[in-house]
Amino acid sequence: MTHISGRKRQSAFSHWLRTGRLPSAQTSDGVELKFNPWHDPADGRFTFAGSGRYYGAGQIERDSSAPTILNRDNPQQRRIATGPKAGTLRTQQPARSAEKPDGRRATGAQLKPIAFRPGSQANPAAEFIGGVGEGIYGAVEEAVVAAHSALTANPVTTVRNASRGIASMIDTAIAAEDTPARIQVSRVAETVANASPRDIGRATGSVVGNAALAATPGAALGKLSALRRLRAKTPRITSDPPQIGWVKENLGPDKPWTQYNDAATGAKPGQAPTLMRTMPDGSKRPVKFDGVQGEYVIDRKWRVMDRPRARAQLLRQSEVLAQHRLIGTWEVPDEAERIAALKLFRKMKVANIKVRVVKP
Amino acid sequence: MITTQIARIIADFILFLDLTDDEILDPDAAVEMMEWLGGRLDALDKGFLRQLVDAFPVIAEEYSGQAQELVRDIAYSFYLEEKLAEDDPVRLAELEAIRDAKA
Repeated sequence: MTHISGRKRQSAFSHWLRTGRLPSAQTSDGVELKFNPWHDPADGRFTFAGSGRYYGAGQIERDSSAPTILNRDNPQQRRIATGPKAGTLRTQQPARSAEKPDGRRATGAQLKPIAFRPGSQANPAAEFIGGVGEGIYGAVEEAVVAAHSALTANPVTTVRNASRGIASMIDTAIAAEDTPARIQVSRVAETVANASPRDIGRATGSVVGNAALAATPGAALGKLSALRRLRAKTPRITSDPPQIGWVKENLGPDKPWTQYNDAATGAKPGQAPTLMRTMPDGSKRPVKFDGVQGEYVIDRKWRVMDRPRARAQLLRQSEVLAQHRLIGTWEVPDEAERIAALKLFRKMKVANIKVRVVKP
Repeated sequence: MITTQIARIIADFILFLDLTDDEILDPDAAVEMMEWLGGRLDALDKGFLRQLVDAFPVIAEEYSGQAQELVRDIAYSFYLEEKLAEDDPVRLAELEAIRDAKA
């Protein structure tokens, strides 16, 4: 950042030497940025260069051990000094400018000379370099570049690392969801354009946030608005009951194994509960169980087998349970069947069906 | 002799349940029927069940392809050896080790 600032400062000075005009600082979107390091600490208003207090980071501030405030004993003079707004920063033209043969002198001659601070022997060029170069390029434009790159790269990190003022200003800027984005952006840009250096110094984080929004309003607002909506979202808790169907079932002769299946919780005599399984081609087929208990479907197994069709049934049940986001339960008559079931589950890599012993 | 004949009947029935297409035979009903058959086999006299278990590998040679493998596998897949050894912990541990090795 320091390297960039020094390079741009030199470029600004070079621009002024060649053209006699102040360089115009612009963001990537063409928004013009202006900066005046001079203002009155008493009321915060801008002053002409050399009056009031210098808040820039240039040589002038370093040269003076204490803030230089002019005309504090003469309110009338101070009022005159703070009259013009800072949008038109002008300074005394160096004599070298008058020697330009290309007519730029006339432009420079229109600028009214402004008195420098008493006792200050600073070169006007140095003042210009310090004020404009450091102020515009160093303080504002670099902030814009930094905030731009940071926000476009990772808004989450930027928001986390920035001061709370950033989040506050961003929230304020996008609070009204029904306000068109371009209006929100223009408001932010206007805020940045009219911000005083004191404001910038007081809340650097806020300025960074505003400048970044002015530089890349669409990307920044879009990302941060999405982040805001994401933060507002809460996990949906679904408690829909299982979509159970019923089909007729003939368990054959009245034997212990048929009675065992009939005794499953939630079972209906002569009927079997089913879950509809969605096939890869979109068709639906029922998968039978023996009972239902809350959100659990139960299949009673008098005998656990390791046959191809039994394995296929296990996979069908596991798949349909996964489709319905349910957990299945196998109920077996003894511990030996439970162990056999567990081994079968492990072999088939089925994790959404549990097994428990329910005595006949 | 009679054990072999009954073993053939059981094997044919199991093959029907195992190999019939899903469009013809409901797969869940087929599994349910095999569970019923497993319960019936468990209820057999232990001595006769032993003969049946020994008969399945013999009659399996009468089948071919997948059917042959399925018939040979009847005792294993219905846990009939475990049923015969339910009072013998050592044999049960041995059978479990064999099953784990196959898995």
